[in-house]
Amino acid sequence: MPPLLEVDDLHMHFFTRDGVVKAVDGVSFTLESGRTLGVVGESGSGKSVTAMSIMRLVPEPPGKVVSGDIRFKGESILAMSEKDQRRLRGNRIAMIFQDPMTSLNPVYRIGKQIAEPLVLHKNMSRDKAWAAAVELLKQVGIPQAEQRARDYPHEFSGGMRQRAMIAMALACGPDVLIADEPTTALDVTIQAQILELMQEIQKKTESAIIMITHDLGVVADMADHILVMYAGKAVEYGPADEVFYNPLHPYTWGLLESLPRHDVDDKGALCPINGQPPSLINLPSGCAFHPRCAYARPECQTGSPVLTEIENGHYSACLFSADADFVQQFENRVSRDGDTGSGS
Amino acid sequence: MTALLQVENLMKHFPVNQGVILSRVGRTVKAVDNVSFAVEQGETLGLVGESGCGKSTTGRCINRLLEPTSGSIHFAGTDVRKLRGKDLKAYRRDVQFIFQDPYASLNPRMTFGEIMSEPLVIHGVGTRKERQDRCKEMLEVVGLSPEHIHRYPHEFSGGQRQRVGIARSLMLRPKMIVCDEPVSALDVSIQAQIINLLEELQKEFGLTYLFIAHDLAVIRHICDRVAVMYLGKIVELGGWREVYNSPHHPYTQSLLSAAPVPDPEKQRARSRIILRGDVPNPIDPPTGCRFHTRCPIAQFPICSEQEPPLRLVGSGHQAACHFAKTFPIPESRMTSGEGYDGDPAEE
Amino acid sequence: MPGGPAEQAAEARTLWGDALRRLRKNKLAVAGLIWIIIVILVAITADLWAPRWLGDPVEIDSSTAAQQRLLTPSSEHPFGTDKLGRDVASRVVYGARVSLIVGVLAVAIMIAIGLVMGALAAYYGGIWDAIIMRLADVFFAFPYILFAIVLIALLGRGFHNVFIAIGVLGWPSIARVFRSSILSVKANEYVDAARSMGASTRRILVRHIMPNAMAPIIVYATMSVGGAILTEAALSFLGMGVQPPEPSWGLMLSEAPTLIFSAPWLMVFPGIAILTTVLGFVLLGDGLRDALDVKLKE
Repeated sequence: MPPLLEVDDLHMHFFTRDGVVKAVDGVSFTLESGRTLGVVGESGSGKSVTAMSIMRLVPEPPGKVVSGDIRFKGESILAMSEKDQRRLRGNRIAMIFQDPMTSLNPVYRIGKQIAEPLVLHKNMSRDKAWAAAVELLKQVGIPQAEQRARDYPHEFSGGMRQRAMIAMALACGPDVLIADEPTTALDVTIQAQILELMQEIQKKTESAIIMITHDLGVVADMADHILVMYAGKAVEYGPADEVFYNPLHPYTWGLLESLPRHDVDDKGALCPINGQPPSLINLPSGCAFHPRCAYARPECQTGSPVLTEIENGHYSACLFSADADFVQQFENRVSRDGDTGSGS
Repeated sequence: MTALLQVENLMKHFPVNQGVILSRVGRTVKAVDNVSFAVEQGETLGLVGESGCGKSTTGRCINRLLEPTSGSIHFAGTDVRKLRGKDLKAYRRDVQFIFQDPYASLNPRMTFGEIMSEPLVIHGVGTRKERQDRCKEMLEVVGLSPEHIHRYPHEFSGGQRQRVGIARSLMLRPKMIVCDEPVSALDVSIQAQIINLLEELQKEFGLTYLFIAHDLAVIRHICDRVAVMYLGKIVELGGWREVYNSPHHPYTQSLLSAAPVPDPEKQRARSRIILRGDVPNPIDPPTGCRFHTRCPIAQFPICSEQEPPLRLVGSGHQAACHFAKTFPIPESRMTSGEGYDGDPAEE
Repeated sequence: MPGGPAEQAAEARTLWGDALRRLRKNKLAVAGLIWIIIVILVAITADLWAPRWLGDPVEIDSSTAAQQRLLTPSSEHPFGTDKLGRDVASRVVYGARVSLIVGVLAVAIMIAIGLVMGALAAYYGGIWDAIIMRLADVFFAFPYILFAIVLIALLGRGFHNVFIAIGVLGWPSIARVFRSSILSVKANEYVDAARSMGASTRRILVRHIMPNAMAPIIVYATMSVGGAILTEAALSFLGMGVQPPEPSWGLMLSEAPTLIFSAPWLMVFPGIAILTTVLGFVLLGDGLRDALDVKLKE
């Protein structure tokens, strides 16, 4: 049985006047029903572009899938006609965006916007779709759903708008829900509500979730698998526990190490990753991370690391991940039994 | 010893305008409502809270970017609110401000050199050459190359611009700096760099910080004492250890519990308090205790009628709750069955 | 999208430099600019060559007038002659002077008044803002041309009053644009940063607000020159603008409607002149807006 969603060595480049921006440069992962994939990366890592590519929302030109494939239930999305892609979008694969204020149309009522995918994809009548929309609002925890469906987006708070977006995404019962930084713009107590809601929904509907974020705390909460991206490339991929407790790539380790924590005892100086993220037009030669890597070796400037399986289901794109001694160097800040030594 | 900064009963109300032809004052938003705290020389006090809690407004009242509606602010014994003209300008040498947005806090049409030397120019410090030297020196202190004084902000990344913003605030050798979310707009891997920089500078120049942020982990790391704010009021105030390890106010407990931790096993093992509902509208705050509408341990009628004052609950530790630490949060209110981490009944 | 900067050892790139580069790449804008420059040169140098090559635009040689009238375009009179035997091409050339002078001076007046009003409204806010903006609304409520005609009727017809009228009535648009530009610049944190350093109001306005608020004004002013030229043509057409025998494109149009089929050159050439010149300003303005706007994007 083919996986629900499979991204196979995707390369999506933007051809601009200033040069070729390699926004996504070698990303692979699979996703099964009922599972959550956390895609972690900073700005410029290519995580949003990957999501947009799956939805085929990237404008082409200037974007172009240079190589690789995206398959939904075994069928290639890239090879589909525009009509077939539209049948998938919002229907089988739905997306939630970061800023609910700009992703909801301010001139239409909330209920109408939630009903829209139902009218489009399920051919429901407007009345039936409206009733279904009210029902969905109830499911996502909006009180007084009948009245509130008649509101406009600006009458909703940030958290409620995000719930409305989730309702809209869930309208057709999608198999895959892509959430692009869904809680970044929200307060932490509201974020907790939204994440809880998403987990409840996933339990009920068995849909798969791709959670894109820069917040490692959020993925620790939600993700079964984690994909770490840097400068357009996938640098680590594996089960969530493995990636957190046994990181194989220096960037992953650097990220974990640089986080201030509010639950561990020591308060020593933070260990940041030095330097700046690279320009996607002028990527460093060899491994894109090597100028900032604390463990770089001469080979890193020339070798072109590819995501390879190091342990069972745990992939890394570092030339030396397979070397146990190399990985030992990483001072593990967080270890399995909750012990929080500062590492040595 | 009197504290370097003493704030008492600070209030900042914003009128909500009504009227078509002329703006008349209708209702008010009580953005900061009776806030009091002190900051000692050399320490870092954190103001933490979610959006709308009034932390940024408080910061801006301190350096009079906003004029307080009432209350008192004393800096090194001087009444800040009474300062005018030259004295106000002199105050601005001692108390500086670092802004959140590295893209909006630097004038795009000025070079780094012009941006950094502006405080010196305004206060008539040094000759042109001396100012330029100080700029170059400061760029190095914050980890940038001195050649960049002739470059423009848009040529640089957010992290580098924020360094210049920090450098600018140091030019007049201030005594205290109000940092308004200085790392929130930066990438995670850069945040750590800037946090380290701020800590080093504090040691090197003997600075006092009022650190405003919403990220609990950052606050805990950098602050000596922490004030938790909700809807314009301070609900808990104390040393970082006290506030984070034994929070007394239910909001603090909820906040700590809601913030996700980058550790899957810990995250699974935690019991989470998920607050219901949204933050109330600050124009119409709830009566009595402002938190009572979302509080997991609210008791009626007292919580909806009487506003709890900040009460001492430990050494140097205050909380504004009628039931601070006298009630454990009941099991039924938690989302998983495990015991509650910072159980108020325990000591 | 590119993440960090490319730390080239290149020279500093100012925002104006970037904008100029972008403008140069915009072919339509460059075409508009070139045409405007041509028109300006033609107008400035007119005295040197037009009377000799084309004929006097104003003087009527009564002896030859009868034979010279309404001649079709030829090598001697490239645009033909009008009812009074004057060379149309020459009149078009001199008409360019009128249009340009009126256009530029009208916009200068608009800006002088509009900038001050807009700045007062934006910086002081409150009651000043209300008064000025309501006043601007009153001006907007009246049809522009009608208002201009009334004003000229009061001031008296003639060349000077044309651009005074257009300028004085046009300040509200500039004021509005400038006010919103200032308000959006004021919202930037670098203005707060200047205040928190102890900068004086004057310094903030001159050093921080003005340079950043100017961009929309430059665009609007450029487009307004085109608009002013069009308004002058309309007023002259109605007899309220430049008076005969001075050549003005609008005036030339008004002399010709009955002859549109028998002597089309009388309307066609002034018409094309108006069209292309105004278009030139509009294209340039458009190009400026695109070039200056992008600077704010990362």
